[in-house]
Amino acid sequence: MSAKAEVWQGTLALLVLKTLNAMGPQHGYGIARRIEQTSEDLLSINHGTLYPVLLKLEQEGAIASEWGVSENNRRAKFYRITRAGQKQLASEVSQWEQATEIVGRFLALKGAKA
Amino acid sequence: MTRTLRRGWNRLFGTLLHRNAGDADFAEELHSHIQLLAEENIRRGVSPQEAYRRAKLQFGSIESTKEMYRDQRGLPVFDAIAQDLRYAVRGIRRNPGFATVAILSLAIGIGANTAIFSLVNSVLLRPLAYKDPQRLFAVSELLPHSFGQTPVPVNPTHARAWAKDCPSVEQVALMRGNRAAVAAGGEPAFFPTADVTHNVFALLGVKPILGRTFLPEEEQEGSHGVVILSESLWRSRFNADRKVIGKSILIDRENYQVVGILPGWFRLPYGVASATNIQFELFRPLVLGRDEIARLMGNFNYAAILRLKRGKTADQGLAEINVVQAQFPRLAGSTDRELKAKLIPVHEFATGRSRLALWMLAAAVGAVLLIICINLANLLLARITSRSREAAIRSALGASRGRQFGMVLTESLLLAISGGALGILFSGWAVHLLVSTTTLDIPRLDDARVDSTVLVFAFCLTVLTGFVFGVLPAWRLTRNDPQEALRAGSHTVTEGRRGLRLREGLISLEVGLSAALLIVAGLLAGSLTRLLHVNKGFDADHVLTVDIGLSGHLYVEPVNREKFFDRLLAKVSAISDVQTSGIITALPTRGQTWNDPIYLEGAGDRIEERHPVDNRYASPGYFRAMSIAVLGGRGFEERDRGHGVAVLSEKAAQLLWPGDPNPIGRRFIGEDDKPKTLIGVVAEVRAVLDSDPPAMAYYPYWQRPPDGVSLVVRTTAGPQTAAGALRTALRSEDAQLPIQRIRSMEDVVDGSVAQRRFQLTLMGAFAASALLVASLGIYGIVSYSVARRRNEIGIRMALGAQRFELLALVIRQGMTPVVLGLTAGVVLALFLGRAIRGLLFEVQPTNFLTIAGAIAVLLVVGMVACFIPARLAAGTDSVAALRFE
Repeated sequence: MSAKAEVWQGTLALLVLKTLNAMGPQHGYGIARRIEQTSEDLLSINHGTLYPVLLKLEQEGAIASEWGVSENNRRAKFYRITRAGQKQLASEVSQWEQATEIVGRFLALKGAKA
Repeated sequence: MTRTLRRGWNRLFGTLLHRNAGDADFAEELHSHIQLLAEENIRRGVSPQEAYRRAKLQFGSIESTKEMYRDQRGLPVFDAIAQDLRYAVRGIRRNPGFATVAILSLAIGIGANTAIFSLVNSVLLRPLAYKDPQRLFAVSELLPHSFGQTPVPVNPTHARAWAKDCPSVEQVALMRGNRAAVAAGGEPAFFPTADVTHNVFALLGVKPILGRTFLPEEEQEGSHGVVILSESLWRSRFNADRKVIGKSILIDRENYQVVGILPGWFRLPYGVASATNIQFELFRPLVLGRDEIARLMGNFNYAAILRLKRGKTADQGLAEINVVQAQFPRLAGSTDRELKAKLIPVHEFATGRSRLALWMLAAAVGAVLLIICINLANLLLARITSRSREAAIRSALGASRGRQFGMVLTESLLLAISGGALGILFSGWAVHLLVSTTTLDIPRLDDARVDSTVLVFAFCLTVLTGFVFGVLPAWRLTRNDPQEALRAGSHTVTEGRRGLRLREGLISLEVGLSAALLIVAGLLAGSLTRLLHVNKGFDADHVLTVDIGLSGHLYVEPVNREKFFDRLLAKVSAISDVQTSGIITALPTRGQTWNDPIYLEGAGDRIEERHPVDNRYASPGYFRAMSIAVLGGRGFEERDRGHGVAVLSEKAAQLLWPGDPNPIGRRFIGEDDKPKTLIGVVAEVRAVLDSDPPAMAYYPYWQRPPDGVSLVVRTTAGPQTAAGALRTALRSEDAQLPIQRIRSMEDVVDGSVAQRRFQLTLMGAFAASALLVASLGIYGIVSYSVARRRNEIGIRMALGAQRFELLALVIRQGMTPVVLGLTAGVVLALFLGRAIRGLLFEVQPTNFLTIAGAIAVLLVVGMVACFIPARLAAGTDSVAALRFE
């Protein structure tokens, strides 16, 4: 457990968008599982924390939802990314890359003293 | 940014619409999520029980997820409000009686306030439609004479000099009110007509909707045959025909070419004597004769309106005008008295005497609403007391003070808004009623309507009302110590002194305001009664009157007018019901007219030797027909034809011959600058009912046959029986003659007090509603406290208290706040009375009878309101009362 990283809130929205973009419509469980699988179970999320993020994204219009039937024949709500969500995803991805690149450059600095 | 907005909108939407459905949906969504988790665990070989446990662990807290979800979905503030609203609606439904009383009384209060506000708005607040009205002023001249200074209309020569010699003055326009007969498009009838200088329209900034205004050259005799019509006359008499421009129409049986139509909203800011709200229908160019222009003093017969240049102040303008004014007495031969002028801002002038009255009514109706608020606050407070246990439980369960406060306030706002909505509906109807049923001298009153400004006012007032009567109860409720409330919750305890005292204070406030309103209404009523019973100088009983105007080429020659009146008077006196009849150029109580000086032969042009009097022309029968007492000498007789004679009022005779007890037979110079022999002295007659009679001079009509008179007829039977015969007599003289309504003289007198009657009616209605609401308030609090103290009363009775003792106890307690309030109310009324002194007539604000009467009425009402519940208390069966718990 201790090896698993916690996911902080802002990032979760990005992961959700990316997942939906890659996989098409998914229900909450599918999204949570997919995030865990993609990170090879290194990322652990409390599945419950996913829902406020989904709600926020839906209110912002980045994703849309409708009721459907899950693989085990249960009624489940399926989320899909919208056009606005794809735009948001693209801009957040580039922001994220920029940020990691900058941070990476700092970390790559050889200390003058060392 | 758009994202945030979009989210906010969706959250708001979420609150308002999908609350319950959303909850169920979400629960289902979570449920299926956990199910899927569990099934996966089962697939991994975990036992079903363990699988579910793990699934729940993996998911985290379901309840906190739900809560987070709920908080995010809607806006918590709105959720709280929605909850408060539901709670308020429930509270109202639970107590429909209270809600009905509250909503109805608020509807009446807010409706009446809105109605009065729409009057105030249209008359006092809405800017005048003239261009730059702040630079417009009406002008009066201040005429020095033997008894001070009187504002009078202006002399046209003076007005011309102001325009020419005062650098601050841009323009001066002159006007003179008149009437003219129009026969086109209906029965021949008189219409208010203004003769105006050509510049008046440009000065006021009004453009005709059709055609043009006057040209300067049209003020010349000979080219003045042009007329401008009001839009309403154009519509009513000419079917709004655009082709009427350029056509000739008959006015006073003479040809006038129509050159323009003025817009319907236009009102001339015309004001002379008591008439300030004439809606003129015809406008003609003002033609000033050579002799008029030559007159340096006297001839104060025109209304003037003046526009200052941009950036100049009224003081600058007035100073310059007064310099110009100073030269006229000098030119006229007098040096020791100064002629001055007075500028009245046109907006003030246009509202005239209605200003004070309207503010008074607005204040009164505001006070009524305040009383209603206080009463509702009191009722809510009483209910709060019984809800304090509930509130205590709520706060024990963690409801914050703010939420509790909000809950009570929501209830009061809900009531206020319901009442306000009803009140606005009611106000539209009330405004219509007020405007259509009164014939008042309030300029622009007929423009009053419920418009957007009024609606905004009504809405703000409604919200304010809700706060005013809700804040106190809400504050009381949240200040309760929950522990104490829970402990004291058993209802055997008599209510805490503090709560009672608060409510008694409110009762005092209500009673005080009611007392003040009652006293003010009483003062107005006293004024009106005194006014109607003032010594008018004539007897209106059994007198009929009708206005006659002679116009057109038939009557251009004075001798034709004289003959007309001769024949008419002969015919009228032959009517069997007619006792005596006469004509007069201006009826008493209809205002002062024809102000020109009279003087002794050989007097210089010095102002103090020329005495301005009210000049009127009459027929021999006039004094008898009106029962005006002849104090010395005699009235006019036929044998006076051909002689210069006059009759003076006592005051006028004293001006000419101070101290002379019998001036009959002496000579003076009349208003026509011809010598007159005084043949009689008559009693004073009021030209305006509410001011002292002016000095008056009367001349026989044949000395200067007038073109407009009032015929007065004293009848033997009921006055209206002679009306038909009178009409026939007039028609037989001239079939084309426009005949105005035949009225009794009592009607005429009554018409002159219409405005006071209107004020009094409204004020009386406000005072009565205040009284009613206050008495309900007293009744409410006394019966409530009796009900709360049933137990205590039962004990007292069991211990041997007598019925009357209990009665006295309850009444004493109920009346204490009433007496306190009365005292405060009387003091308040003394201040108010001073403020409205301008509306009073021969009644002092300290009038003992009025104040005592109001006190008596309130005491009686208070006693009755206390007595009913007190009797119930005294009739309590002690055993039942003690068992009541």
